[in-house]
Amino acid sequence: MSTHTQAPAAIALSKAAAEKKYPAKMPRHGNAGAYRRIVIGLLALAVLAPVGLIVYQSFLTAAFFSPRAKFGFDAYQYVFTDKNFYRALGTTAIFSFGMVAISVPLGGLLAFLITRTDIKGKRLLEILVLVPMFISSIVLAFGYTVSVGPTGFVSLFIRGLVGFVPWNIYSLPGMILIAGLSHVPHVYLYVSAAMRNLPSDLEEAARTTGASIWQVSRDVTLPMVLPALIFAAALNILLGFETFGIPLVLGDPNGIMVLTTYIYKLTTLFGTPTYQLMAVVAVVLILITLPLVWMQRKLLRNARKYAAMGGKGARVATLKLGTSGQVIALSIIGFWLFVSVALPIGGIAVRAFVDAWGEGVNLLDQLTFTNFDRMLEVPSLVRGIVNTVLLSVVGGAAAVAIYLMVGLAGHRNWGLSNTVLDYIVLLPRALPGLVVGLAFFWVFLFVPLLTPLRPTLVSLFVAYLVVGLSYGLRLLQGTLIQVAPELEESARTTGATIGRTWKDVVIPIIRPGLAGAWALIMIIFLREYATGVYLMGAGTEVIGSLMVSLLQTGAMNTIAALSLISIVLTGAGLALALRLGAKIHD
Amino acid sequence: MTELVVSNVQKWLGGLQILKGASFTAERGSIVALLGASGSGKTTLLRCVAGLEQPEIGEIVIGGKTVLDGAKKIALPPEQRNIGLVFQSYALWPHRTVKENVGYGLKLRGVTAADIEKRVQAILERMGLGHLADRFPSQLSGGQQQRVAICRALVYEPRVLLLDEPLSNLDAKLREEARYWIRKLILDLEICAILVTHDQSEALAAADNILLLQDGRIVQQGGPQEIYSNPNSFYSADFLGANNIVRAKVRSVDGSRTVIGGDNWSLDGTVREAAGLAASEDARAVIRVEQISVSDRPEAGGLEMTLDDSIYLGDRWEYRLSRGDFVARAHGARQLSTGTVWARIPSESVWVFSAGQH
Repeated sequence: MSTHTQAPAAIALSKAAAEKKYPAKMPRHGNAGAYRRIVIGLLALAVLAPVGLIVYQSFLTAAFFSPRAKFGFDAYQYVFTDKNFYRALGTTAIFSFGMVAISVPLGGLLAFLITRTDIKGKRLLEILVLVPMFISSIVLAFGYTVSVGPTGFVSLFIRGLVGFVPWNIYSLPGMILIAGLSHVPHVYLYVSAAMRNLPSDLEEAARTTGASIWQVSRDVTLPMVLPALIFAAALNILLGFETFGIPLVLGDPNGIMVLTTYIYKLTTLFGTPTYQLMAVVAVVLILITLPLVWMQRKLLRNARKYAAMGGKGARVATLKLGTSGQVIALSIIGFWLFVSVALPIGGIAVRAFVDAWGEGVNLLDQLTFTNFDRMLEVPSLVRGIVNTVLLSVVGGAAAVAIYLMVGLAGHRNWGLSNTVLDYIVLLPRALPGLVVGLAFFWVFLFVPLLTPLRPTLVSLFVAYLVVGLSYGLRLLQGTLIQVAPELEESARTTGATIGRTWKDVVIPIIRPGLAGAWALIMIIFLREYATGVYLMGAGTEVIGSLMVSLLQTGAMNTIAALSLISIVLTGAGLALALRLGAKIHD
Repeated sequence: MTELVVSNVQKWLGGLQILKGASFTAERGSIVALLGASGSGKTTLLRCVAGLEQPEIGEIVIGGKTVLDGAKKIALPPEQRNIGLVFQSYALWPHRTVKENVGYGLKLRGVTAADIEKRVQAILERMGLGHLADRFPSQLSGGQQQRVAICRALVYEPRVLLLDEPLSNLDAKLREEARYWIRKLILDLEICAILVTHDQSEALAAADNILLLQDGRIVQQGGPQEIYSNPNSFYSADFLGANNIVRAKVRSVDGSRTVIGGDNWSLDGTVREAAGLAASEDARAVIRVEQISVSDRPEAGGLEMTLDDSIYLGDRWEYRLSRGDFVARAHGARQLSTGTVWARIPSESVWVFSAGQH
């Protein structure tokens, strides 16, 4: 009996003793600790230096290289008393939330139809639905201008029918609608992944208790994918705050400004570059986007928790739509595809090959290659195309190699450096391409050692590297994590150092994933337009940024030709990605 | 010759101590089995020896070389420990052929290509895999993959071969064959092997020395017969063999002899509790199923019991016996009709332990 009464006390005592005596961890030797710290440290430098420079610049009274620059809050004072700034801030918020209100329900619906029903042509739809995501938004926006703008092909056609154009895309609602439609793929991507992981026995269980398809969708499916929907909404709000192309093309002509275009306009407002003001707005933008990124990260963790609850390899039973259901579902998707893919791309395709159009003009008579001929006569445009291809194909490969190095530095890393990496990767997501480009432009001006590199493609490449960092690293980490730990451990116990293990086991196994990642990074670099706006100079032109500067001059023929080239290149990249088996659904 | 010395290895995982001071040694030409239920820490202990986990306290010496010393903060990475590890999932590299998988360890050790070719072919032939040298792992059956994994871990003659549940992915028939040839191979090559398993028959059949782990501690160690027939705790007694567990009260104690009983029955037994037992204490008795012999005729010293059912198991019959709150299983060669039977239970086979805490 006595042992019984004493036992609990003894346990409590030993527990306390164990907690107190918890010994220090043994150091991990041979785990490439130095390599990991150096790579992550360099990455941190590459990400933090530009951000630091922006913050530093925002507290100066003039450009940082100017002898007149003093420490002060003048720039903040100017921006925070500027009516236009608050208007732009308000517009940005309305724009972002409006965009989410369109893209999230529509993306959710598309995801449901494509993953959970027996809709026809699923395989093709899965790819088509993602197309808007791969096209740069400046190309898309331009496409809408030429097809449904005030004098667009479709607008003129409608005016011929009813006598007036019943819409105006050069308005905030127009911008919101177009941005909302083109961001549907971002929602679709996350929600469809969640729906695929949803074991259908949960739905079947509900069906057997007597619920109808629609009741099941509402009461079981929707709550289960709610975390993914919320995540997608948060992501789209972030993208809304960072968007530049659509407001520039559609909002600017009518003076509708968002934060990014406000920064862009500050350059021209005073005649001389007002770096300190741009820096202040960039800081404000980062202060808004950083919490959004942080929130997303938390949401994603929760979403994973949900997904983990579902059974692995659960078979997904599809709902039978029936004939009328098929017609309705395909019409919805078809209409969306028409509006967000066919309209802009079709518009550009036509516009690129005509010189003049208008009421009563037969487009077929106007078909011409002049736009391309003229373009090829301008050296900067030709260089732009060459540079873009170079940056995306060669730069993309180099970027994958660098992301791989970073990925390996974080691969099975238990050290403090991994936490640093986690947070470093978050930062670029909070930085709009325009701001990253601006910041690197300053870095290359500021650091004497780097100045000779500024007029070369290297400066663009470094900026692109940071812009693509979170996406690219996620792609690579996704592939790396698929290598079973035993495959690496068995190499180690066989006698290979960690470096040999990476070289002989890890990298050969993920090689197919690397090829796919290369193709996807290539597309990301192809469609990038905002990053180069400040960085590009004579000799380092890229298609997207050329279009931004051409917009100011109104050279529509050239923009149309460049847009078409951009679309064709993106299409080639996408075809290559699919051929290499890239997981565009990740 | 002692190839492996493990002393007082302790490991924590997030505030939880999962190894609480494991110590053992292993000799060349013998197999040590780490046996235990899942969560007992046996795989963690193996991974500590391999260098894949880092214990906070303890010392490990492999082939005379200190690979872990908690006090001096020495912890050599796996590649400097000269070990071979066979993984439960075999972990063959999918992008390398059988030959390349097996030859990798030699290549890392700077052996010339011609020598690698010769030694790889020799070990593959020995295992009956010579004709598969140019295949990829995905083209092999589970049994072949397992043998390739063993070849890969053995070809460079490591000081210690570690086997992490090497048989659990094989089907039952292959498993019995495999545990025989693995034992034969290790004895022939005179290597020192550590085998982790949760399967007692695997440990009993293959090992020279069994370490029984419970909750991060080695609770008993000894030869297979010793550990099976002379358990020192209820856990050891219960973990091995097929057992009847009887809850009872201690009626009387006389040295190591005791009488336990319950509702309308009593039984002579042997005290096995290290701390001893006192009369009228709650107790648990472990009786190996094969120790009870059942007869349908009265026998001297037999306990009169009720046979509730005879169950056909193919090679034998299982009897379901009861008397009051004493319920037991026993085996026999023929079907007995239900009703009264006599069970002979030798008192040295009734191992009595204290009832433990609840």
